Amino acid sequence: MPRYKVNKEKAIGSPIKPLPPVPSLYGVDPKYVKKRAAELPGIVSIKINELFPDIPKPIWPPRNPKAIREATEEALEKVDMSMIKPHHSVNILGSHHGFTILGGEPYAEMLKTIKDVIERKTGAKNIRLKVGVGLRHRESEEYIKRFKLDEYFEGKAYGMSPLDPGIPIETEIGTFYGIKAAYDADKIVHAHNTDVREVHFHRHVDRAFKPFGMSYARLETRSAYHHNLGPRGANFVARAIFNSKFVQEKWTFAVFLRASPVGILGVYADNDLDRLDRRITIDNLRYYGKVMRLLSKIDECIVVLDYRTPIPYTFAGGVIFANFTGANIDLFDLDNPLPPYTWYTEAYYDEQERPLIPEVPPVNPAIKAIVINYAWGGYPSVFWAKKFPVIVVGREQADVYNRDPQNIEFMKHAVIADDLETAMEFAYKIAQTDKVIIFDGVYGAINVSKSLAEYLIEKAPEVDEEVEKKLLPKWLKQRGIPPEEAYK
Amino acid sequence: MVRFVAFRAEIDTSKCVKCGLCWSICPTEAISWKPGSFPEINYELCLGCGACYERCPRYAVTLKRLPEPRIVKVDVSKVDYNKVKEICKNAGFHPEQIICFCTGTRAKEVAAAILLGAKTPEEISRMTGVRTGCKVECIQPVLRLLKAAGIEPKPKPKRHAWYGMCPTVFEVPKEVREKYRARGFYFDEDESLLRKVIARV
Repeated sequence: MPRYKVNKEKAIGSPIKPLPPVPSLYGVDPKYVKKRAAELPGIVSIKINELFPDIPKPIWPPRNPKAIREATEEALEKVDMSMIKPHHSVNILGSHHGFTILGGEPYAEMLKTIKDVIERKTGAKNIRLKVGVGLRHRESEEYIKRFKLDEYFEGKAYGMSPLDPGIPIETEIGTFYGIKAAYDADKIVHAHNTDVREVHFHRHVDRAFKPFGMSYARLETRSAYHHNLGPRGANFVARAIFNSKFVQEKWTFAVFLRASPVGILGVYADNDLDRLDRRITIDNLRYYGKVMRLLSKIDECIVVLDYRTPIPYTFAGGVIFANFTGANIDLFDLDNPLPPYTWYTEAYYDEQERPLIPEVPPVNPAIKAIVINYAWGGYPSVFWAKKFPVIVVGREQADVYNRDPQNIEFMKHAVIADDLETAMEFAYKIAQTDKVIIFDGVYGAINVSKSLAEYLIEKAPEVDEEVEKKLLPKWLKQRGIPPEEAYK
Repeated sequence: MVRFVAFRAEIDTSKCVKCGLCWSICPTEAISWKPGSFPEINYELCLGCGACYERCPRYAVTLKRLPEPRIVKVDVSKVDYNKVKEICKNAGFHPEQIICFCTGTRAKEVAAAILLGAKTPEEISRMTGVRTGCKVECIQPVLRLLKAAGIEPKPKPKRHAWYGMCPTVFEVPKEVREKYRARGFYFDEDESLLRKVIARV
């Protein structure tokens, strides 16, 4: 029996205004985003804390830099920094991903606070910020500029790319390559966040380690992650690099912005990354697990993408669109070998779009049409255009993909509508549903059509029950964590 | 698959500081450079991938749209398909398997390029378009396919377009598999899955 009933009046509200578009090398000029999907008639928001009352209340939103600073300082008070001497150089390693959460300001504030606390506690002055990227090689440079981090770090804030010079790292399974600039200091600090993001890639196995195999890694390593290790073993690349003598000699501690589907819950910091990973795993399987399983219950819908990230990374309720593509499969369940979308899966379709092996699961059949109102290039996204009917709003947005070497073929599989209303009209015709979900980066609520809001409200208590009683214990056991730890 | 080349890189020498970074990362070796001189682009080889554009420290490179896109493509029918299958299988790939998600290039096309004479990742990129989208994700399949054909290229000094091969699941030692299994790394099952794909050749 479900533990509670959702109060419909409290759960449904006016649509939440998403963050505005920003100028970027990878996106359309903001002036071309003329209307946001949340402004469409009939759109409402459903509050996640009403759907799942056990998810703690966030410290951000609403905007609150002071709360982030205090949470970071408090978390760092318990951390041992004695290995950092005043004469040491220190690289605070960050990732672009942190800046996609709530527009990036909370992550920027955390990074600044880490610098201040290290200086205060250790006397070290040579503190650099090194921020890695995904596949948009200038993205971190854009964030550094936007948040004036170069000034804060006294000219020592840098964007890093997997194309930059590398350094070999010997691990227990062989040689991988890190970005030289990430490791060119006496000591390193791992400054990340707990957002689940690419569950299809890391499967939430050693989630906290991932940047060592990704944003701090050279292209050879990242290629090995996606082609060499397999769909469940991929993130071992990160674990192997972290465990290496090379990294351990520089290791100090980790600081993680504690993200959740409702926003920022606080900050975690620890010298022991394994211990931190266990905390994150329990939190995420429980909180993101519920939202992901709830979205998996959607039987039919039109998806609207409307956020300042590439297509797969637009998100709703903290869940990225790429994971919704695979929501017909439980991505946390390691008994499922291949998610409907991951690069191992994408690789296994032949030229006629037939799977090479029967284990390739179909993409989420609930997605009847996709409208792209605003989403960046800089990630190979033709998979979605081939698998779903895609309508792109405006020629300028379409040109983002046409000029992107990662998406040259994208618009061959999509159509263009003059404006958002026309795109929606067309989507309703082909989808034959009035259920709409908007991936617009809003935290704490999901902007949806009223019909979908009512549907999700009805399903939430049974999803809570299913996760708490059945799925969470299974997911934890698969990751070597006794379920009792989650129920303390 | 074909790679449509819609752009080409152009260098603004008024901004260029002759550092050679563009030369060091170009995936097709389209850029020539000597210390102290401006880099030069061979437009026969430039596929407009934007590596130089995105990493130039002085923002001296721009991408210009070509009046007409050109096509890069390898014709698999020009080579013995049994040899294509053999190279792919030895490398641990199904010939139909996509190895570059940006260009949609399949393992069979890389194998065909090798059979048609390509001996380095750069030559393969020029013939197939691989490594010219994101510039990151497909180097390992390229190196694995070259090795399966008996070719082990060495990276050129001072360039860092690529360094070398990394481990695969097929080489993960038994003790490592056992040590990490309880954490959720299912190496044995993943290896079986990958082998199942290869067995379909």
